[in-house]
Amino acid sequence: MASEKRIEDKKISRREFVVGGGALVAGGALTAAIPRELSAAKKTDKSEYPLSKGYLVYDSHKCSGCLSCMLICSLVHDGEASTSRSRIQIDRNVFNPYPQDIQIFVCRQCPEPMCVKNCPTGACHISTANGNVRMIDEEKCIGCGTCINECPYIPHRTIFNVAANKAMKCDLCANAPYFSKKGGPFGEQACVTTCPAGALKLVTTLPSQKDSKGYDRDLAQPSQPVEPTAAPKN
Amino acid sequence: MPTPGFTGKILLVDLTRKEIGRIDSDKYEMFGGGHGTAAAIFWDLCVAPGNWDLQDAFDPRNAVSLMTGPLAGTGLSYAGRTSVSGMSPQSWPVNWFCHSNFGGSFAPVLKLAGWDGVVAIGKAESPVYINIVDDRVTLEDARGLWGLTTWKTQEEIWRRSSVRYGQEWQELEKGHTIQRPAIVTIGPAGENMTRVAALVHGGGSGAGQGGFGGVFGSKNLKAVAVIGTGTVKVADPKAVRDSREWWETRWPVEAEFPGPEGIVHSSCMGCRGRDCRNRNTIYGRDSDNCAESTWYAVAPPAKPTAPEVQSRSADIAQKLGLNAMETCFMGPLAFDVPPDFPIQPKVPAYTALGWYLKKMYDLGVIGPGKKVDTYPLPMEDYEKAEFADIYGLAIANRIGIGDLLAEGTARFAEKLGRLPDDFNTFLRLTAWGYQDHWSMPTVEWCYGNLMDSRDINNHDMSLGRKENVSCEQFVKILSAGTTRNEPFWFDYNWKEDRAYKTGIYSDFKAQWVAWRQHYATYYKESVLFCDWAFSNLYNKNSPDGMGYTPEAEPRFLNAVTGRNHTFEDGIEIGRRSWNMKRAIFVMQGRHRDQEKFAGYMYRPGASYCGFYTELPIFDGAKWEWENCRELYLEDKGLEQWKTHFYEVEGWDPQTGYPGRKTLENLGMKKVADVLQANNKLGST
Repeated sequence: MASEKRIEDKKISRREFVVGGGALVAGGALTAAIPRELSAAKKTDKSEYPLSKGYLVYDSHKCSGCLSCMLICSLVHDGEASTSRSRIQIDRNVFNPYPQDIQIFVCRQCPEPMCVKNCPTGACHISTANGNVRMIDEEKCIGCGTCINECPYIPHRTIFNVAANKAMKCDLCANAPYFSKKGGPFGEQACVTTCPAGALKLVTTLPSQKDSKGYDRDLAQPSQPVEPTAAPKN
Repeated sequence: MPTPGFTGKILLVDLTRKEIGRIDSDKYEMFGGGHGTAAAIFWDLCVAPGNWDLQDAFDPRNAVSLMTGPLAGTGLSYAGRTSVSGMSPQSWPVNWFCHSNFGGSFAPVLKLAGWDGVVAIGKAESPVYINIVDDRVTLEDARGLWGLTTWKTQEEIWRRSSVRYGQEWQELEKGHTIQRPAIVTIGPAGENMTRVAALVHGGGSGAGQGGFGGVFGSKNLKAVAVIGTGTVKVADPKAVRDSREWWETRWPVEAEFPGPEGIVHSSCMGCRGRDCRNRNTIYGRDSDNCAESTWYAVAPPAKPTAPEVQSRSADIAQKLGLNAMETCFMGPLAFDVPPDFPIQPKVPAYTALGWYLKKMYDLGVIGPGKKVDTYPLPMEDYEKAEFADIYGLAIANRIGIGDLLAEGTARFAEKLGRLPDDFNTFLRLTAWGYQDHWSMPTVEWCYGNLMDSRDINNHDMSLGRKENVSCEQFVKILSAGTTRNEPFWFDYNWKEDRAYKTGIYSDFKAQWVAWRQHYATYYKESVLFCDWAFSNLYNKNSPDGMGYTPEAEPRFLNAVTGRNHTFEDGIEIGRRSWNMKRAIFVMQGRHRDQEKFAGYMYRPGASYCGFYTELPIFDGAKWEWENCRELYLEDKGLEQWKTHFYEVEGWDPQTGYPGRKTLENLGMKKVADVLQANNKLGST
């Protein structure tokens, strides 16, 4: 299979690929996080992919660190609460001075999504039925971890479900079977509805890709309202 | 399969034998988790075998437990606290079985690791910490951590792992994570086995009351660290999220401590936002804006301590691992008193250790050259911020007078030969050596202290006057919220016949106190709902004034467990656990004759530090708010109330011992057998 061949080419085991991938990425690029982000941004100039109709943005200065978003994320997607399976990740270190005490990591719904681009089975795809959100089709996912390794951000935003041997990523709740509301870019997101601090928000225009500031923004003042865009018919 | 919300197993660590074992949670499901389950485990491990006298909390045989509730880690709010149970070195004069709890993320993470709780027995040869990584549990060498503050300990354990938390996905037993371990630890105060030592988690989530930090120290147990990559299973995931939204929509959150403009609040894991902690202050970050944050606030006539000094001092208490409530200087407020009152010019909220120290110094009882020297404390600099540093260090390290102070307020007073006289005047320790804490004139609070083993710290008993609601309507709302519809539970008549018929010495008040102890034992200490939010009988944000009790509790629990329990089922579980605790107390020597308040409670002024003083009074025809600030107890009245209370509980009115029928009806025949074998079974 293509994915296995790809792994063979890299001469690392699938386990190393999936598990160590993040660590390798982190280890190699910790000191070069911004250059990596910039390099991803550059690619957007010639993106051949349709832009997502929605983006999750956050205000790390406003977050209270309750991690409710994480527990609710896994709950509505998998029916079980877990921080490991949350598509949004928050690292909290109360001993760091504010605002470095909280870091928030969300999937950026990249203009040129490396996860989609490199998925060997087409599991990681752009869902036109769901406002072009970048999603993973569990049926097609073979758990190769390519999407995880190819995610250019640290920590990687595609995550791995060990029990299911599948990759997972934020779909803006487009496919959240335990969410009783309509999700996706034209609906609501469980994390946004849950956040008690108002530190999460869905926006419809592509945030700046230069660095994290496009996503980590001041939500204290009303920013651009979410426009009630009609969902595509197909 | 375990009931959803539970993992099915509790970690049992024998520190003496270096053995890691497990207890099936299912065996204790009838106690509901948390403190209830801990009490039942304590009974099985420490009481039923009958091999020790249950008097010394520092005995290695004491079992100290950290327990979760069924809602921890599910995404539901106000329900992720960690219960701490075991015999308490703080309780005076007996080290009663006791409880405390703390917030933060420890309980949810423990659940994600696959454990409903941790029970530690024995004593390690040298300092260790328990390291839980999903199912893998090890005892790690903590000699290099001994002596570190609570904050440094946590950072050092993180550093030892060499993991770049927040950057690097780790593969652990069940999954991957970028999270850092949740750690609860002791500081020097616990290591030196003070009776005023807290367990501290994060910056300022602490379990202070009970003095369990000293119990950890006595076991050479520096910390428990846990990281979990599993999941918490729930019966109905949709209902869990929806119930949270239902709650938040219908009863909008009310900030408890909004703070100045610009404050960014921090929360415990899963919290919907009570704003009780701060993120962006230089000092006092992550400390609850209550006892810790006001730890160093000196009492009038001294000038009010500056807020920044208070916040800085809060960090000292947290780092040293001190019980802030017990060692503080006055508490957050001071109240006016008449000119002839023994405390002048104002009575502090708490006559805690810092305040009492100054009082003894001012009276010339202690000081340089006195029988009890105040070295190393610079008493003349009592109002300077540096005093708090020296004071904290002296207690935590038992230096000089700190060695006496480390025994807690009641034992310090006893050592000075001031008891019982000071209990009759200005040492306001309600019962068992615990500080008065809004516990009068709302008598259910102080009655709860007496029947339990500590300051019950139940802020939901704040039943004082509310705006925009008549007294009669208020009483109706409260009555309906309990589901018992008995308005006289809320009659605070305290004089003459009415006090005995429907007021504070009546059978009604006994029923009310019993109900709220059952409620608290289950919903607050076992389910681990946060005290700031539960119970909620009255809610000013609700159009009809009705709070979310009794709707929210079963709704949340049933969404998680799928048990389809009623609110009353929970009350009954609480009653069972409450009786288990009573049996433990009785085996420790508790008897009706011991259950008496400190002398000041029977004198004018008993309610002078009451925060909620305007209470409902039924005058025979109508309900009226009345200021009960002059309320104090009569010995005869208390004795009548106790008789009513024991009868309500099914305990022997002569002794206070639980009866066989009561225990057997609760499914605790074996407990009754042990009590009988020890001649401590009630005749009821």
